[in-house]
Amino acid sequence: MSAALVRLQRLLIRVGALAEKETWHLVRDPRALIMGLGVPVVLLLLFGFGVRFDIADIPLVVVDYEQSARSRDLVRAFSANGEFDLVGELADAEAVEPAFRRGRAAIGLVIPPDFSDRLARGEPSPVQLLVDGADATSARQAMGKAEVMAQAAALRFVGAGDLAQAPPVDPHSWIRFNPTSASALYLVPGLTGLILAMMGVMLTALAVAREWEWGSMEQLFATPVGRLEIVLGKLLPYLVLAVLQVLLVLAVGAWVFEVPVRGSLPLLALSSLLFMASMLGQGLLISVVARNQMLASQVATVSSMLPTMLLSGFLFPIENMPWPLRAAAAVVPGRYYITTLRGVLLRGNGFAELWDQQVPLLAFTLAMVLLSTARFKRRLA
Amino acid sequence: MNAPAAIEVRGLARAFGEVRAVDGVDFAIREGELYGLVGADGAGKTTTVRLLAGLLDPDGGEARVLGLDPRDPRVREQVGLMPQQYSLYGDLSVGENLHFFGRLFCIPRAEYRRRVDRLLAITRLGPFLDRRASALSGGMYKKLALAAALLHEPRVLLLDEPTNGVDPVSRRELWELLYEFVGEGMAVLVCTPYMDEAERCHRVGMMNAGRILDEGAPAELVARFPHETFTVEGGAGELDAAARARLHPVLEAAPEVVAASPAGPTLRVVVRRGAAGALAGRLAPLGARLAPTRPEFEDLYLARMAAGGAA
Repeated sequence: MSAALVRLQRLLIRVGALAEKETWHLVRDPRALIMGLGVPVVLLLLFGFGVRFDIADIPLVVVDYEQSARSRDLVRAFSANGEFDLVGELADAEAVEPAFRRGRAAIGLVIPPDFSDRLARGEPSPVQLLVDGADATSARQAMGKAEVMAQAAALRFVGAGDLAQAPPVDPHSWIRFNPTSASALYLVPGLTGLILAMMGVMLTALAVAREWEWGSMEQLFATPVGRLEIVLGKLLPYLVLAVLQVLLVLAVGAWVFEVPVRGSLPLLALSSLLFMASMLGQGLLISVVARNQMLASQVATVSSMLPTMLLSGFLFPIENMPWPLRAAAAVVPGRYYITTLRGVLLRGNGFAELWDQQVPLLAFTLAMVLLSTARFKRRLA
Repeated sequence: MNAPAAIEVRGLARAFGEVRAVDGVDFAIREGELYGLVGADGAGKTTTVRLLAGLLDPDGGEARVLGLDPRDPRVREQVGLMPQQYSLYGDLSVGENLHFFGRLFCIPRAEYRRRVDRLLAITRLGPFLDRRASALSGGMYKKLALAAALLHEPRVLLLDEPTNGVDPVSRRELWELLYEFVGEGMAVLVCTPYMDEAERCHRVGMMNAGRILDEGAPAELVARFPHETFTVEGGAGELDAAARARLHPVLEAAPEVVAASPAGPTLRVVVRRGAAGALAGRLAPLGARLAPTRPEFEDLYLARMAAGGAA
């Protein structure tokens, strides 16, 4: 056998030994397994049920100065379909702001005393909407919904015959892939990416740091084992765990949040593997530099959560960002994975549309493995 | 003196910040030689071992292990290290730990079996093969660590306080194991704070504050000893605690005394040669007398420490 073959054979033996040893650590310390498999599911359930962009039951107070059949009709229109929850009627518009301050209401509808009279005369009949702007997202949605409802009510009051008031263009929107604009369908792919990123980085971040803390690094360094061998030996067993994580999280997404898988399964598998490898690689790099588990876990959380939350397109569209942030987003693996997830799960995409998202994932993984190996100093101090 | 040097150290130095842990150390160890590095905690023994294992970069001087720089990957195949602190995997069993290190050294399966069987037999760890390393007693853990360090049949063995926290029986067993391997031609460096262990070595280097103060065969060092050793006794032979507490400061202050230390129920003093009469004169009014005794390694060490401190 040639020298190169012998070296390769020895590398495989050592990587195998390290991977097997790492597996024993995992199996014997159930905390790591629980963290690896339980926490992602809990997080997905928590965030999936907890984080919603579609708002229902917005607390509404009404100040009805007219108290007519028409005005009560308008109030009913607001409170009838579950978008608004009528929490009370106030006598005076001045009382609306204190209601906001106490958190009792988020929107106030003020109907002037001449509401019906103006309608009867065919004049525009303004009503006032007061919105609590402290929560901008909710405020914008509440306002939008209230305006739509007021217009719908107005049309009924005036009668469909008044064509002069009909807008010349009347768009009928059809939202594809997520027809009801359900938060879950939009959120779960992004959440999956975020949770898997956090868990993946954490798993390996602890793996090398632990050897420093145990003191076993001294014995390990005294053997002929190479740095790349240590890095690969740590990476492989966690990759298996990470794949289980992906399956579990996607299964929960499908069963609990009814997120479909419409596209290519092989692409989903490949992309998940590449993404998890890239995140495990990032964790290894942290681990190699940090040398203690406390620091490693903190750096792991921050360095995985923040970029994946802010720069992956999960919450904020990358196209609208200024160029420095767009440049930063280009090296966030979560961005490519979340794009792939949304494509495969919701749009039914396959390799043809999404192959270009896999290339950066592969590049990031290789970069992390090489950087970890290069930064891995075979010295105790 | 004709055996080639397995370890050669010249002017070796390593500092951590302001602390010069190893400060210009020279020594050489031949194949088949058991060399002891003796010193208190903080003397620089562990740093020396780590430099020889290629785990630290030296600031100055050089070390050669089997003719190579200790950081050369080829050396690792030939060197066994038993670190001072726990460095095996506590959650792996005895067998799993050995198997893991055997694979890191890529020992063929049949060869591995042969070596493990022998090591388990001589360490008598066989019955504990399935016990987790964290559940071993101090002595058994050290024997496992020694077995792990010997698996690849190294030509050089570095042992950092191998008997620290080990009961006397296991300690003697460990030393017998060492003699066996040294007899096969292995070069062994042992660090120890224990003087009685230093006397078991072929040669000894006395280390303090990063330097080797004196070096030689234990008997030689004792023979070269320029002082005399005595125990201080009371009327009935032994001293009670109160008498020891009263006499110790007197001895420390006496100009004839090089070093004084408690030794069981008596006090042990190293006295400048020829000055014993003067010291006996000081002690007589206090109801104590001097009884001559054979100088031991600890006396040498304490005397050297005292001399080093005064200089």
